[in-house]
Amino acid sequence: MWFRNRSYAAEWRTMNRKRALKCDTFCGKRGRSGAAEPLPAAAGGGGVAAGDRGDRVGGALDIKASLEHIMSLLPGKLWSDTVPRIALKHQLYSLHRDRTRVDRHLNELREQGDVLMFQLGFDSESVAVVFAADFKAKVLAAEVGRATQGPVEKFLNTVLASCCDMSVDETKMLQEFLFADSEITQLVKCGVLTVKDAGSWWLSIPNSGRFTKYFIQGRKAVLGMIRKSKYSEMLKSDLEGRQTTSRVKFHIQYHIHDIVGAELVDCIETTAGVLLRFADS
Amino acid sequence: MLGFLFGRQTGLDDPLRLKRAESTRRALCLELNPDRNVERIHGNGINTIDIEVIEGRYMLSGGADGVVVIYDLENHSRKPHYTCKAVCTVGRSSRHVHKFSVETVQWYPHDTGMFISSSFDKTMKVWDTETLKPAEIFQFVENVYCHQMSPIARKHSLIAVGTKNPKVQLCDLKSGSCIQVLQGHRGEVLSVKWSPRYEYILATASTDSSVRLWDVRRASGSLFTLDQFNGDPSKSSSEAANTAHNGRVNGLCFTGDGLFLLTTGTDDRMRLWETATGKNTLVNYGKVVNESRKGLKFAVSQGCSLEFAFVPCGSSVAVYAVHSGELVTMLKGHYSNVDCCEFHPDYQELYSGGKDSNILAWIPTPRPPDIEEEQDSKKGGSQVALNPAFEDAWSSSDED
Repeated sequence: MWFRNRSYAAEWRTMNRKRALKCDTFCGKRGRSGAAEPLPAAAGGGGVAAGDRGDRVGGALDIKASLEHIMSLLPGKLWSDTVPRIALKHQLYSLHRDRTRVDRHLNELREQGDVLMFQLGFDSESVAVVFAADFKAKVLAAEVGRATQGPVEKFLNTVLASCCDMSVDETKMLQEFLFADSEITQLVKCGVLTVKDAGSWWLSIPNSGRFTKYFIQGRKAVLGMIRKSKYSEMLKSDLEGRQTTSRVKFHIQYHIHDIVGAELVDCIETTAGVLLRFADS
Repeated sequence: MLGFLFGRQTGLDDPLRLKRAESTRRALCLELNPDRNVERIHGNGINTIDIEVIEGRYMLSGGADGVVVIYDLENHSRKPHYTCKAVCTVGRSSRHVHKFSVETVQWYPHDTGMFISSSFDKTMKVWDTETLKPAEIFQFVENVYCHQMSPIARKHSLIAVGTKNPKVQLCDLKSGSCIQVLQGHRGEVLSVKWSPRYEYILATASTDSSVRLWDVRRASGSLFTLDQFNGDPSKSSSEAANTAHNGRVNGLCFTGDGLFLLTTGTDDRMRLWETATGKNTLVNYGKVVNESRKGLKFAVSQGCSLEFAFVPCGSSVAVYAVHSGELVTMLKGHYSNVDCCEFHPDYQELYSGGKDSNILAWIPTPRPPDIEEEQDSKKGGSQVALNPAFEDAWSSSDED
């Protein structure tokens, strides 16, 4: 009754991870000079983070490079000059293993003003990440010559520069940033603000409707490909090599990062590569 | 390891350092061992397990058929192969057995003379271990999901009870009645846990997606509600404001020092909170599959330098490093859903029970024997640990 089958490949992978944790414990934490370990468990967790303090700056640049890589997977010809390149936060989780570190570095980038984060709306957990410079340039380019140009410029210079939130509410807009009601209506009209509740708005990316439509279509198509295969699983290399239907407008790698990061599929290491199995929940 | 021993011997290191390093190493290599078994008594799924804190010797388990079993975990046979036997059972034939499934069992925190069990038959019974008869029965109006008595309390003997009713009831063991009601939740209370640091602090989790922290001495209501967005109104929609999870919150566990609280919810997330401020530490554990309609009972290791959380996920137990959010390993072995798990802090063993009516014991992998020991045993010729199945049954002599 006590004999259980185990997958050797999975065991090898967990053994490596456990070996790394055990080495940390026995050889002392990296970055400490042999002083006695702090007693509470909370500081023990902090000790692991202290070990990578040295590469924290490196870590943020790392995240930036990954973001650029993901954005480069968006097709050039579909992308007009009106929409900035969008990456989703959970796509980074498929590139980097430590999610907490990814979150932390991304928050740092956001506080420095390099990236902006938006709630996309179709999923309460999906957060879109764009580079701030790219966003501002594209929005201003779209507004040239239109009546809404003035309020939009004012908005970009004041609200985006100061607060890092994903939504604003009425009191903030009227009092802190001194927007008039009519200006707010114009901002909503040109797509920079989207209604959330009575008196509060999400910040949004103008003209991003097409992106969202293609993204959801592509995600459904790729998940459908995996689900239709035998046992609802496919090797990642096979999936990359498959010919995509016309529903999938983006590069398939973009969608693979998305479904792996959002944990819609389970990643299983096998001797033939990574296997993606549809996770039904 | 030798370095640690030398350091401790010469006084260079704190003795605690060796203990914690070795505990962490042992907690990292948990696996199923053919030499350790727990006797199978339950006929149905096992809902809850509790190991007593005084000696760590006796384990209580409560099943879906209302049966409560007490096991002896210590190995008194001289052999490595050991089955944890059931010492006594409150079986279906007993007059006082619960009518429906037992949801939570807990030993009396100060000695093993008493234990408390609560069940879907709307009662909570305080049992005398010697006679296996209930010394006290508390009646409730609704199904009882969970209860807990504070493990460190000296000044009070309150049992917090979570039922289908949104009001959390506090029953006093000394007087035998419900003396206080904590109002504030708007849904069923799926889990209650006392803080292991302060004897008056209680955390409760409910189907209205909120987790509240209470000081039971205060009459006016909860201290605060845990908010997953840390009070930032910009990130949440208005329905999700002031909630700990985006679904039902069904699991609570304090870390050993009581400074942090782990919560799990049906939105497949696990969150770590600071108990002092109620702040979300934003540690990202990824997707923690959670489909339980009732409370989820999970455990956190104690005494290691890196704390681990053992969370039942489907038919396996996921081991997460608490402060970094990393998934260390998945312990696979059960045939069906795992409902509860309990960590034995002295031996770094994990006991998990599930719907397949098995309790599995996950033991740290024993160190391989030294080369010298092997040579000695070969020279000595006595093979004490040889499995009789491998012994030769034939003899080469002609007369036999």
